[in-house]
Amino acid sequence: MTRFERAEKVEQAVRPGALFSAFLTISLCGVGGGSGIVWARRVAVESRRWITDGEFADIVSLCQFMPGPNIIGIAVCIGAKMRGVIGAIAALCGSLVIPGTVGLSLGLLYLRYAYLTALRDILGGIAASAAGLLIATGVRLLKPHRHRPAALLFAALAFGLTTLGKLPLFAVLLGVVPISILVAGIENARAR
Amino acid sequence: MIGASAPLALTAHLAWVSSISFGGFPTVLPDVRSFVVDKNGWMTNQEFANLFAMAQSIPGPNSILMMTFVGWKVWGFPGAIASAFGTFAPPCAMYFAAYRLWDRFRDAPWQRIVRFGLAPVAVGLVVASGAVMAHTADTGWQAAAVTIATAALTLATRLNPMWMLLGGGILGGLGLFK
Repeated sequence: MTRFERAEKVEQAVRPGALFSAFLTISLCGVGGGSGIVWARRVAVESRRWITDGEFADIVSLCQFMPGPNIIGIAVCIGAKMRGVIGAIAALCGSLVIPGTVGLSLGLLYLRYAYLTALRDILGGIAASAAGLLIATGVRLLKPHRHRPAALLFAALAFGLTTLGKLPLFAVLLGVVPISILVAGIENARAR
Repeated sequence: MIGASAPLALTAHLAWVSSISFGGFPTVLPDVRSFVVDKNGWMTNQEFANLFAMAQSIPGPNSILMMTFVGWKVWGFPGAIASAFGTFAPPCAMYFAAYRLWDRFRDAPWQRIVRFGLAPVAVGLVVASGAVMAHTADTGWQAAAVTIATAALTLATRLNPMWMLLGGGILGGLGLFK
């Protein structure tokens, strides 16, 4: 039982303004597909210490199962956790409003200068780094589960089926998750 | 000429597909393309592809951003707002409801089991999307080296990721990846 226990953090009231600015930072920093998760973890877990790595991994896994952009789900969940409805709305606005306007203006500029090779080279370099950040974030999220061999196995399986097997995400979720939950259930029963 | 019903149809369609975009918006992108390009002829294939490339390379939530550009193209500023709303509103409501439900049963034994089953799979998928992105960005061993170096630096230090993105951008700009 003990290895399933995690120290519960005392939840303090977080101002909606703090949630707004945190998610503003997160979405402004996220460049390229999916890398918002890198910054969400950096800000919510490392800098502000609102949630633990384990709680962040829970939220990410919940969001993987839901439709829509994951980073928006992470904002809504963390906002809801810290401050209920108002927190969720504040985090969501931080994620959307100002980055939306900045993104739109940058986008219109980019369309104008898309023919420049130098711009494409720079973006290529950024994309390569962004991929590395994403990989490292995933590895970090596995940390709370590193003592469970089954967790490592299922993480490797999900990774392999997606990259080598080229299966669609939904198929991977449907195929791997029930077995993974079953094994976690057996582990839990044994540890009792 | 595009009438006022076009942005409404687009918003309704985006609201529908965003509600079923399990596993992220990229999974329904082909559907949006056929709706916008083939069915309604609001833009060409090439224009759609350009919007995609652009949304991927600028900061912000890029699937919403991309749909905002699509809406912009169809009906200017009001179209952009309507499309963005159609893309994020239904999933947000679902996220909130699901999280509330999830949090209420936080201490239930079954939930701990589900959590311990879900988390490793989610982690594997995050690492996989990093690998897929690296593959998309890949223009040779130099790009792969940058990806590996960034991953190693992130794991070994608490260096701000912005420095690594800046470094990658500079190396790319110097023409290292050609």
